[in-house]
Amino acid sequence: MPTHTVAIQEEWEMQRDELIAEEKELTRRGDRLTTKRLDLPWVPIEKEYSFETADGTKSLAELFDGRSQLLVYHFMFGPTYEAGCPTCSSMADGMDGLLPHLHARDLTLAFISTAESPKLQAYKERMGWSIPWASSANSDFSFDMGASFTAEQVREQLPPEDQLPPIAPHNAKASGTDITSYVAEIPATTAFVLEDDTVYRTYATNFRGVEFLMPYYPILDRAPKGRDEGAAFQTWIRRHDEYA
Amino acid sequence: MTDHRTGTQEEWQTEREKLLAEEKKLTHRADELTKMRQELPWVEVEKDYRFETTDGTKSLAELFDGRSQLLIYHFMFGPPYEAGCIACSSITDTLAPNVPHLAAKDTKLMLVSRAPLDKLQAYRERMGWEIDWASAGGTDFNLDIGFTSTEEQLKPFLEGEIPPVVEQMAKASGTDPKGYVTEVPGLSAYTLSDGAIYRTYVTTARGLEPTMAYYFLLDRTARGRDERAGEPHWLRRHDEYEVD
Repeated sequence: MPTHTVAIQEEWEMQRDELIAEEKELTRRGDRLTTKRLDLPWVPIEKEYSFETADGTKSLAELFDGRSQLLVYHFMFGPTYEAGCPTCSSMADGMDGLLPHLHARDLTLAFISTAESPKLQAYKERMGWSIPWASSANSDFSFDMGASFTAEQVREQLPPEDQLPPIAPHNAKASGTDITSYVAEIPATTAFVLEDDTVYRTYATNFRGVEFLMPYYPILDRAPKGRDEGAAFQTWIRRHDEYA
Repeated sequence: MTDHRTGTQEEWQTEREKLLAEEKKLTHRADELTKMRQELPWVEVEKDYRFETTDGTKSLAELFDGRSQLLIYHFMFGPPYEAGCIACSSITDTLAPNVPHLAAKDTKLMLVSRAPLDKLQAYRERMGWEIDWASAGGTDFNLDIGFTSTEEQLKPFLEGEIPPVVEQMAKASGTDPKGYVTEVPGLSAYTLSDGAIYRTYVTTARGLEPTMAYYFLLDRTARGRDERAGEPHWLRRHDEYEVD
């Protein structure tokens, strides 16, 4: 017999019905937050940013690629990284198949990182993704959006190395860089809209706020053991071509 | 100028902080619900079900594929369908790329439908998904869990006015509304413990939204999901959008 409580179908259904009521309330609460998100003011982007892409230098407006909405995932791939962050890579796996559905809703999804473009394009090819990837190496974009930090900011704002969660040294090593350079990039996303030739920033989030881009988490949340990771969170994640 | 309210970076930041506090509460509430889900009793699956797979006939225990957790997405593809349901296909675009990551967490994720195996495999190949798909056509597996409806259960629905979106989805799957709604989308979770199989969780309808990752991306854009009741559904199979 398992150590877990076992019940007959009818008992399970009674408890499940109580949980469903809570789950429905959570879904509606999520809907209400989406409405609040849509009500946030839009902030015009007045600075000129330029990005290096596989198709040459582009402005932020050009990254919209003919659509009126742009969602940027700030993929952790700093100038000193030799490969993209494994956790961001696991997120990219899930995002890649969504492109046709997002395009149908007038939304372009793009990655932006501070590493040089050729490094990003080579890694994208290795991983087999089709999401466009732009380098912000020649602009302040990633710093202005709060997705990248200078070494001085890292020292001032982030906990000392020995207080970082195990995922930081783990992913730093897997990305071929040192811990300070690794955490100078953070997982973040920023949403933009293009209206009358003006780009507005509408929404931004980071850290657990980007879990909406990690579908394996809500899926595991429905399995008996849940995420089952504790303080060593995400250290089980490998690039999809690196699982044994 | 846009009709939407605009603001300075500082104004946006102030409102964003308030919303962030609520977003964090929502995340923590979702964590609590995951705990409640894990506390549900387990129900032993005593019936001996047989599934057709590309590796021959298998029992439910064999579907675990050596792992201790099994998640089944009940993909709407009934015997009269000519192609898989559009919404289930968009869900599979999210599920398939997450299979290797879930496998690393001792979790097998797969699809089960009632159509014959060769139909399922041909459609899987067309869509390019790397996820296992078994046919439950020869068993009551889907019926017992409530993801196949009987004629008697469907009678009140079919005698009423059929919503246009059901007509649209049925037609896109090459069947009529009756053939279409006989199948119900759902997710069920199982664990294997001391040779016995237990069902631990089941969900359907909006409870499946965690597997529709595109919705969570759209929820963070300027226009949100932008869906209106009564309009034809915008979803298509990823190879059927007219404009990309």
